[in-house]
Amino acid sequence: MIAQPATTRDQAGQPESGAVIEARGLTKRYGLTVTALADLTVTIWPGITGLIGANGAGKSTLIKILLGLLEPTSGRAFVLGHDCVRDGFAIRSLTGYMPEHDCLPPDVTATELVTHLGRMSGLPPTAAKERAADSLRHVGLYEERYRQIGTYSTGMKQRVKLAQALVGDPRLLLLDEPTNGLDPAGRTAMLDLIAKIGSEFGISILVASHLLGEIEQICDHLVAIDAGCLLRADSVSSVTRATAALLVEVDDGIELLQAELARRGLGPVRFQRGLLVQLAGDATYDAVRDSVADLGLPLCRMEQRRHQVEELFRDAPAAPADPAVSVAPAMPGSQPTGAAGVR
Amino acid sequence: MTTIELRGVSRWYGNVVAVNGVTLTIGPGVTGLLGPNGAGKTTLMHMIAGFLVPSRGEITVAGRSTWRNPDMFRQLGVVPERDSVYSFLTGAEFVTASAKLHGLPAPDAAAGRAISMLEMTEAQHRKISTYSKGMRQRIKVAAALVHDPEVVLLDEPFNGMDPRQRLHMMDLLHVQGEQGRVIVFSSHILEEVERLSGIIQVIVGGRLAASGDFRAIRRLMTNRPHVFLVRSSDDRALGAALIGRPAVSAVELTAHGLQVRTSDYGTFTREIARISREAGLRLTQVQPSDESLESVFAYLLAS
Repeated sequence: MIAQPATTRDQAGQPESGAVIEARGLTKRYGLTVTALADLTVTIWPGITGLIGANGAGKSTLIKILLGLLEPTSGRAFVLGHDCVRDGFAIRSLTGYMPEHDCLPPDVTATELVTHLGRMSGLPPTAAKERAADSLRHVGLYEERYRQIGTYSTGMKQRVKLAQALVGDPRLLLLDEPTNGLDPAGRTAMLDLIAKIGSEFGISILVASHLLGEIEQICDHLVAIDAGCLLRADSVSSVTRATAALLVEVDDGIELLQAELARRGLGPVRFQRGLLVQLAGDATYDAVRDSVADLGLPLCRMEQRRHQVEELFRDAPAAPADPAVSVAPAMPGSQPTGAAGVR
Repeated sequence: MTTIELRGVSRWYGNVVAVNGVTLTIGPGVTGLLGPNGAGKTTLMHMIAGFLVPSRGEITVAGRSTWRNPDMFRQLGVVPERDSVYSFLTGAEFVTASAKLHGLPAPDAAAGRAISMLEMTEAQHRKISTYSKGMRQRIKVAAALVHDPEVVLLDEPFNGMDPRQRLHMMDLLHVQGEQGRVIVFSSHILEEVERLSGIIQVIVGGRLAASGDFRAIRRLMTNRPHVFLVRSSDDRALGAALIGRPAVSAVELTAHGLQVRTSDYGTFTREIARISREAGLRLTQVQPSDESLESVFAYLLAS
């Protein structure tokens, strides 16, 4: 035990410098049967990172371990260089956490709650009051802050949860489903706010969400976990990189265009509302342009298709056997995962 | 053909008007019911489902009034937003109970079918209290579909579901719609509505703000110029050629390409390929930037 090899100690001892979150071989079992995390190793760097995964994939368990509230069965985790098991207190003083569920007391005002939580995070009374006022203003709560939380709408409650996460001047925010229950306007406002906190305040953010479109919109990186294991950790731009397929949509005459593109040897395939053709250099663009111009069709879309985060969660990337299968308009199931490009 | 018809339907609670003079027809296929929080979507759904009586107006499903007409439920499946499940039952018991309440001849078989359609077979003998939110949502849908109804109303069916479950539920609803059923669902996630259904009914402040295919609705907003992002082998030259056309009202060079505003959508889309060919330019991208349901919805709320 004393003569532990130096290499092992190096691996297990020091966190990587610059990393915001680091998990090494993190495993958590509940009882003997339930494995929430299975040897998860991942490093999260500064910026906005999306945490995605199925229900029960281990997202909540990971967040609890990172906050030092739950001890892993084995493996180690570091947040901002602090060990999650030993330095939970230090981590919580540097981290703001926005829980998913509705956890706000209905009978206090937002100002009272956020000030109180500011004091709990270690701020002196006056500073807590000032910080609470600041963070409520940042999230866009003004006069309403003196009203009891019980009278708030869902959107306002989400803002209070975000404000209390911000009050302790954190270096890292953990947000669990921040847009849950919000209507479109509320979602847009919340997403803008998160992006602003990430870019202007320079606070690193880990945001868990089921809405992959949101992750694509605001995150720089994403971490996908499945059944407690790492599925993918990558930058959003590389997950959503362009495919080699060109999507062409016309408002009418799609049959004419399909026939013309086929005649030119582009092998068009029906996809959602348009046609997919395999990109083979600049000539493909010219052939599409000339076909549309010759037929005089209204061209409403022509763009390279991009990969989507969603593809990580498709069961089997099965190629539709028959092009007719993918005729269904705007049909999620018929979305070829690069399969159309193969054709 | 089964349809849902509303004629001049209003509903008020005391002095609060929740739904105000809504007239609409919903036919077979998948229809999205949209609106901000508090717009009256749930009230409208409850009236269609026969849970609430309209203060004024008339609602029929397949030609028959839904209020005080329990017979109606043979053709109607309802998935409420609230967690309306009995947590002390197993999933199978819950769905079978629903089948029995409908008086189906073979309740167990019907329940098994509905449960397997929702991919809940594995967990069906567990208590509902042990289910995750997404599983509870799916068992609710199974109970609503157990009697193979022609009309299905779903209030926020995607709530709490993870990405894979969302995809599966979208596929399921799409198939049900293709089979000629009337599927009405409400959702706040506009990307999903856009993919699942082009047909929307938008409720704002209790009134029907728009109805129909959202792309057609967008075309009708003639006061909003259409914006396209165009890329070519020489954006500046293409911009010069485009600004000479009457259909184009503005052209701007941006880092992402050429931003083109047009007040005449039809003419512009018919011209763009020809103009770039005449100018000897390679057209590499034509991307509409405000045709999504997201922007249509925002425009509807703003107007």
